[in-house]
Amino acid sequence: MKLDELTKGVFRYNPIFYLVLGLCPLLAVSTRVDNALGMSLGVFFVLVSSNVIISLFRHWIPSQVRIPCFIVIIASFVTIVELFMHGYAPELHGRLGIYLPLIVVNCIILGRAEAFASKKPVFHSFLDAIGMSIGFTLAIVGIAICREVLSTGKIAIFGYTIVPTFTQSPSVMMILPPGAFLTIGIIMALINYRSIRKEGR
Amino acid sequence: MGEELKRILGIAIPLIIVCIISGVALTASYDLTKGRIDAVEQEKITESLSIIFPGASFTEMNDYYSATMGGEVIGYAFIAEGKGYSSTIRTMVGFYPNGTISRIHVVSQSETPGLGTMIAEPDFTNQFSGKRIEDVRLSQDGGVIDAITGATISSRAITDTVRERAGVVMNETR
Repeated sequence: MKLDELTKGVFRYNPIFYLVLGLCPLLAVSTRVDNALGMSLGVFFVLVSSNVIISLFRHWIPSQVRIPCFIVIIASFVTIVELFMHGYAPELHGRLGIYLPLIVVNCIILGRAEAFASKKPVFHSFLDAIGMSIGFTLAIVGIAICREVLSTGKIAIFGYTIVPTFTQSPSVMMILPPGAFLTIGIIMALINYRSIRKEGR
Repeated sequence: MGEELKRILGIAIPLIIVCIISGVALTASYDLTKGRIDAVEQEKITESLSIIFPGASFTEMNDYYSATMGGEVIGYAFIAEGKGYSSTIRTMVGFYPNGTISRIHVVSQSETPGLGTMIAEPDFTNQFSGKRIEDVRLSQDGGVIDAITGATISSRAITDTVRERAGVVMNETR
């Protein structure tokens, strides 16, 4: 039962492909695998902290002002992440640049606060946040792998080449926004195709 | 009236408390990281200076640095700041007294990841080395710098800022 809170975010209710939340950072940051990993780390920290804190204080926050409270809490965590990343991981901070503050408006985080953490006990919210972060990470890294391979002809993560260059004429379109839409569309179609076939049986 | 006031305060006070706690947490982390962030930024400048004129020592003038080696001025360096496609691009530029660029090095930028960010890669920045300041223009504008495919705005921004600022600093050093 408890384990279910963790695993549901990974596959069954994957935030990207099932809930279709948080597409803005997904489109913007899925151009390179290492950017995607950095973004996932930021989302993981903010989502876990905000879910736990909001769940902890859920009885004290009046429902009329819950959204402003959630936003203040989430925005504070994002700013703290940004400050520490700037000081201790300047390389990553330089690369994620303007996308870090965007975590504030990442609807996965507000969505989970509103739909889950404000109603459920702390430990459940903690597991939910971890599951949702893993789901987000899988989705964004998966898409980034497709886009980096097709747009640069290789994959290099933090300077280590994982897949060596195999083509000299990669497709620039894949690094532009249409490449992200195409990749998300194709993956989503495959997932839906599979679940429809399952139901048909 | 008393009931109504109680209801309003019951809603407002929790929000105020949340804001106060956030404010304190933010102030604390700002103070904790400030020294570190300043050091990181300073480190970036020192690092890019030594990339541009390796082994030289630098004296800070008004808004540029003069690089000396063995007591002799070998060139000047300065930071050019200009608006790119989606961010401010800060570039460390070095040039020799005769008006040719020695090197450029991008200190900070937040252009489109994987596209505009390629202006910081050596493939692009190496093109500037050894060029006359007045020739630093994109080839489609009649210059000698090839723009990055799909990132013409970022390429033009950095090229134009480098040329314009270099011209100004060049006059100051005379």
